[in-house]
Amino acid sequence: MATEDVALGQAQELRRGTVVLACLALLRKPQYGYALLETLNDAGVTVDGNTLYPLLRRLEKQGLLTSEWNTDESRPRKFYRVSPEGSRVRTSLVREWQDLVTSISRLTKENG
Amino acid sequence: MSTSTLTERYVHEVVRRLPADQRDDIADELRTTIADTIEARDPARPEAVEREVLSEMGDPIRHAARYTDRPLALIGPDLYPTYIRLLVLLLTTVLPVITVVFVLLEIVDDNGLGAAVGAGVETVFTVGAQMVTVLTVLFAVAERVGHRKGTLIRTTDWTPDDLPETREPDKGGIGVLMTAVWYALLFGLIVWQQISEPYRTDGVGERIAVLDPDLWSGWIWPVLTGLAGLVVLALARVVTHGWTSRLAVLHAVAQALFVLPLAWILHQRQLFNPDFLADVTDNTTPEVYTGVALIVLVASLIAVVKSFRAAGK
Repeated sequence: MATEDVALGQAQELRRGTVVLACLALLRKPQYGYALLETLNDAGVTVDGNTLYPLLRRLEKQGLLTSEWNTDESRPRKFYRVSPEGSRVRTSLVREWQDLVTSISRLTKENG
Repeated sequence: MSTSTLTERYVHEVVRRLPADQRDDIADELRTTIADTIEARDPARPEAVEREVLSEMGDPIRHAARYTDRPLALIGPDLYPTYIRLLVLLLTTVLPVITVVFVLLEIVDDNGLGAAVGAGVETVFTVGAQMVTVLTVLFAVAERVGHRKGTLIRTTDWTPDDLPETREPDKGGIGVLMTAVWYALLFGLIVWQQISEPYRTDGVGERIAVLDPDLWSGWIWPVLTGLAGLVVLALARVVTHGWTSRLAVLHAVAQALFVLPLAWILHQRQLFNPDFLADVTDNTTPEVYTGVALIVLVASLIAVVKSFRAAGK
């Protein structure tokens, strides 16, 4: 039981950074909070709303996302999309991710 | 109608903890998100689901903190080391100095031993409490101000130079020699005051001893033996470069010989020569004697425990 909890915690740590990358990838098309949450979870990137919504704001504050209110529908919704700077960051994060995959798979193969 | 109030209340609780310029924006988004979530889950029974969704979002204080990165701790990890270091410094160096000054002032004012001890105890508690409070408040404020600016002032630019010297396991040296000198001095004082009877009474000008001469047919002997033992053991510790378990046991015996009779004498108020007390008009209360006896016992106990710990290493 305890080992399972530890494994779960470690897996969460591992996933944490990937949510940013997933958002930067998905938000090439404008999207609002709840829909993004659904898309992410459907895609297998499990994330909690409590984490995602504040994260979107933080990324916006850092200039990686821009936002716009859409009042066409019944509910006004805040749509986020990637800024040009966010695109640059995404490119470098993708490269970083691929390097990690390569190194980790080599490591786990050698020692597995 | 009641459903909207629950969400409204939640949103209000969250945004009132946020900077004013972000409130409306976050409130609108929160409302939409909550409504979206409820709708997606089970539109048939909105009230129950609303409750569910809100409880998943958790305590509004915590939720608001996610948006602001505001610290949920009084003193965060950046300031904590400095805080602790300063606190220890204040309590172990500044506080004792202040206490000694106050006690000395009482003695200079000639208010008697009771007043001096009282002033000491009072100073330790009131000044100590003030130091802890003021320091904590200052650091809590610094934590918040630093966070708002986004640049927490890192007072903890730590370098290896800040490392304290490793405390050698009491390798003889100055400290131990001082201990030997202190006990020897005490021994000498007791003997000297009995032999040379240094006090002159006001009236007749008769020379008397300060300590009760009756002690010399009783309790003073174990006290002196214990003191002599402590002197010898301190000197032995210089030779052995620190505590050994045998020295620690002997030290405990010597401490017991010295302190137990002394505490008894104090408790019975038999320490001073009655003639001497009559002459200086003693106005100390019996509680002070018992208090001093307790302090002596505790100090000795601490010394014994320390010696065994050091010997165990």
